[in-house]
Amino acid sequence: MNILKGKIEKLTVSGSLTLIGIEVNNIGMSAIVIDTSEAAPYLKLGNTITVVFKETEVIIGKGNTDNISLRNKFKGIIDILECKELLSKLTINTSVGKISSIITTNAVNQLNLKVGSEVTAMIKTNEIMLSE
Amino acid sequence: MIEISIQKKLKSASGEMLLNINTAIKKGSLVTLYGKSGAGKTTILRILAGLLNPDHGKIDVNGATWLNTSEGINLKPQKRKIGFVFQDYALFPNMTVIENLKFALNKGEDDNIINHLIDIIELGELQNRKPDTLSGGQKQRVALARALVQKPSILMLDEPLSALDSEIRFKLQQYILKVHKEYNLTTLLISHDISEIIRMSDKVLEIDQGKIIKQGKPNEVFNYKELNAKFQFTGTIIEIEKQDFLYILTIRIGKDLVKVVADESEGQQLVIGDNILVSAKAFNPVIHKIG
Amino acid sequence: MIDWEPLILTFKLAFITTILLLLISIPLAYWLAFTKSKLKPVLETFVSMPLVLPPTVIGFYLLIAFSPSNSFGGWLNDWLGLKLVFSFEGLLIASIIYSLPFMVHPIQSGFSNLSSSLKDMSYVLGKTRTTTLFKVLLPNIKSSLLTGIVLAFAHTIGEFGVVLMIGGNIPGKTKVASIAIYDEVESLNYAAANTYSLILFALTFCILLVVYLINGGYLKQFYK
Repeated sequence: MNILKGKIEKLTVSGSLTLIGIEVNNIGMSAIVIDTSEAAPYLKLGNTITVVFKETEVIIGKGNTDNISLRNKFKGIIDILECKELLSKLTINTSVGKISSIITTNAVNQLNLKVGSEVTAMIKTNEIMLSE
Repeated sequence: MIEISIQKKLKSASGEMLLNINTAIKKGSLVTLYGKSGAGKTTILRILAGLLNPDHGKIDVNGATWLNTSEGINLKPQKRKIGFVFQDYALFPNMTVIENLKFALNKGEDDNIINHLIDIIELGELQNRKPDTLSGGQKQRVALARALVQKPSILMLDEPLSALDSEIRFKLQQYILKVHKEYNLTTLLISHDISEIIRMSDKVLEIDQGKIIKQGKPNEVFNYKELNAKFQFTGTIIEIEKQDFLYILTIRIGKDLVKVVADESEGQQLVIGDNILVSAKAFNPVIHKIG
Repeated sequence: MIDWEPLILTFKLAFITTILLLLISIPLAYWLAFTKSKLKPVLETFVSMPLVLPPTVIGFYLLIAFSPSNSFGGWLNDWLGLKLVFSFEGLLIASIIYSLPFMVHPIQSGFSNLSSSLKDMSYVLGKTRTTTLFKVLLPNIKSSLLTGIVLAFAHTIGEFGVVLMIGGNIPGKTKVASIAIYDEVESLNYAAANTYSLILFALTFCILLVVYLINGGYLKQFYK
C-alpha cells in the first residue's frame, strides 16, 4: 500500500458525495468519497489526512501526461525495478516520497522502462482512500 | 459516567480465575466486551445488574453508588436502572409480546413508551403473539423493546446477535444503534464479531482470563487503520499464496470465500488464521442481480 | 344400598389435604429449587421419606406423637383443644405428611426446569420476589402444579396404612373408603366391597386419564 500524508485544501459536496482537494507536499491531489462533513467529522478544511492507495492502482506514464484525465499525478524517477514473468514492481522516487506501482511486464517492455527513467505515477480519484 | 472496580474469584473449567475489572465508561457511549468464551464477560454484566455479587468492589453510576462492598452498599437488581437482554432472551412464555412489555412497566407509569417502542422496533404485528411462536430475530426485538420500557440508565446486551443469521443480525444492529441514540443510552454489548464491533461500538474492552487486556477505540484494539472505505468486511485468512511480489490471500468472510491481493510488505506479516479487515472503495465493486 | 359416608369422607379428606398441601408445597418447593443452603439435602430427604417408608411406620410415629398421654399430644390437647388421634384433623395432618412428596416433587422440578433467566429478568425489570413468583414462575409451571395436585389427591384417596393407624375406623369421622372396603371384606360382604372398589377404581382412573391427556405424558417422569 502507498501511504502519503496531506492536508485538506478544498471540499466540494454534492448530495452524499464529497470531492476532496488534498495538498501533499505542495502537489495537489483529489479524492472522492461517499461521505459528507456531517457524517464524517474528519472532513474539515485544514485537517491532516492520510492518503492510501494500492500499488496495483498506480498507472505509469512516460513523457507528456498533460492530456490524461487522471487528477493525481506525481513525476519521479524509477528507483527500483523488479520484473517477473507477468508483473513488474516499480518503486518511484517522487517529490512526495516513494510510490510503488505494479504493472504488467509487457507494459514495462513496451515503454522501455529502466531504473533511472523519468515517469509519472498516476492514480484515479476514486481509487484513493482516506484515513484520519 | 460509570465507574467499575470489581474483583471476584471464579471457578472455571481451567481452574480458578480472578475476575478483576477496573474501568470507566462514558455516559452515552456504546461499549463492547470482546473476548473468548469463559473470559468473564457475562459475569461482568451480571455483577453490574446485581444478579451476582463480587467479592470486593465498587460500582458508581452517574454519581449514584450501586455497590460498595467496603461500605456494605449493594443495591438489589430491582433498584438498579438497567435494561438487560439475555442471550436466551428470557421472554416470559406465559405472556404475549405486549404483555411482556407491559410487565416491565412500573405501576402508575405512562404506557406511551410501550407504543413508541412498538413503533420504532416494529413490533406492531407481533403484539398478540406468544413468545414460542416467534423466530429468533423477533424474540430478540421483543427482548430489546422490553429492556427499554423502564428507560434504563444502562442497556446491557449479552451476545444478542450470535444466534441469528447475518441478514437479521444486520437489521438488529440498526435497531440497537437507533434506540441507543434515541434514548441516549449507555450501552454495553458482548460480541465476538469484529465487524459488528467495528460498526457499532465507540469503545472496546478486550477481556481475557477475567482481566481487561486491551481497551480503546475499535481501531486501536484491533489495530487497523480507520479507512473511509464503504466496502468493508472482517474475515479470516485461510490460505496464503505467494506469487512474485504479490500475496494472494484466500479469506473467509461469513460463509463466502474471497481472494484478495496484498503487497509483499503486508503479506509477510500475515499468517493463516489471522483476522483481517478487508476494505475497498465503494466505486470498485461490480454488481449483478441474481435470482 | 351401600353407605356413601366413607366415600364422601374420602373425597373431603383428599380435597382439603390437596388444598393445604398446595399452600405448603409452593413455598417449600420454591425453597428447595432455589436454595444454596447446606440444609437442602436434609430437608429433601425428609420430604421424600414417605415414598419409601411403610405407611404404618409414619402412622405409628404420628400416633405416638399425637397421643394425649405424650407431652406433645398433651400440649396440643390442653392448649389448643386439638385431639389429633382418631379424629379427622389428625387424619388430615397425617395425609399431608404422607402425600407431601407427591406435591412437592413435581412443583420443585417445575421450578428447577424453568430457565433461571426468567427469574433474573423479572428482578432486573424491578419486580419483587412475590410478583415474580405469581406472575412469572407459577404461570409457567402450570402442568407441574396440575400434576402435583392430582397426584396428591389420588394418593390421599388411596392411603390405608396411615389412616388405619392414626384414624382408626370411626364411621363419619375417620372411616374412609379404603378402610370401608377392608371392613366389608373382613365381614365377608364382598358385594359392598366390590361397589366401593369399583367406584374408587373408576374415579382414580378418570382423574389420572384427564391429567395424562392434559399434560401429554408429562406425568411419566414423576410417577413410575
